[in-house]
Amino acid sequence: MELEKSLINATMEVFTSMIFIEIVPEIQAEGETAAIDSNLSSLIGLAGDLKGILAIQCPSEVAMGITGAMLGMEVTELGVDVKDAIGEIANMIAGGLKEALTASCGKIELAIPTTVIGKSIRISGLSGATRVMVPFSSPLGRFGVELRFILS
Amino acid sequence: MSSFTEINNKIIESTIEIFTGMVMMEVSVAGEPLLEMAALKQSITGMVGLAGIHRGVLAVHFPKQVALDVTGSFLGMEVEEINADVQDAIGEIANMLGGNLKTILSDRGKDIQLSLPSTISGDEYSFTSHADVDQVILPFQAPAGVFYVEVELER
Repeated sequence: MELEKSLINATMEVFTSMIFIEIVPEIQAEGETAAIDSNLSSLIGLAGDLKGILAIQCPSEVAMGITGAMLGMEVTELGVDVKDAIGEIANMIAGGLKEALTASCGKIELAIPTTVIGKSIRISGLSGATRVMVPFSSPLGRFGVELRFILS
Repeated sequence: MSSFTEINNKIIESTIEIFTGMVMMEVSVAGEPLLEMAALKQSITGMVGLAGIHRGVLAVHFPKQVALDVTGSFLGMEVEEINADVQDAIGEIANMLGGNLKTILSDRGKDIQLSLPSTISGDEYSFTSHADVDQVILPFQAPAGVFYVEVELER
């Protein structure tokens, strides 16, 4: 699916150029959806010809690891730095996706990122929306990037 | 854009209007706006993003019991747990509140688009905004308890 490929490309681009860690998208069997036990999710809304919501889902140690790699310092607390870093990554992935999809899906505008921190957070969209969830493995652990959307 | 106090009053008006007209439930303001949201326990949050000339997020936070009661009244059915019906109802309420916020911020809501609504639920979570936003959290009293409407707008 083209959209899944764009989501993977946008995510890889951000991690390669900004965070400098190698990430690998996991291949999923048809109809299978990976589950990531998430302690931190950063979400950003997409509006326009494609209406959606993009979410990054991370267990705490992965969120702290990614933040540490991005800021070049050790991070031991699920606090402001982590929230800002993962929120900014969500923003950048959404930006890359917007650019990649403009030709095929039309005009897309971004909202602002929001971060939710907690235990076993569940995110859901409207029941009519399409869901694409890509799990990535990295030296820091697994995390997921998810897009729920409808085309208007 | 008008002052934030004026916007607050319009958000209050539109929340009461949506609950009265669509959810069929009487709600009222439950005190002054909050500066910060405490961690949410056993709750569900509906949220929708705003993009275009104003960028932001509208979120509505319901404790579980209030969410069940609101969904029951909105859909005219009894619900006992947070399921897909509750998620859809709470997402739709966020969507309606976001639609009204659009028209509050811009004449007839032009040049502002809404994202897809989504919901977040969990045993305990905190909902945090990022830097450089104006934020308001308005508490409302529903028959089953207090819920909160939160708006964050990029400066």
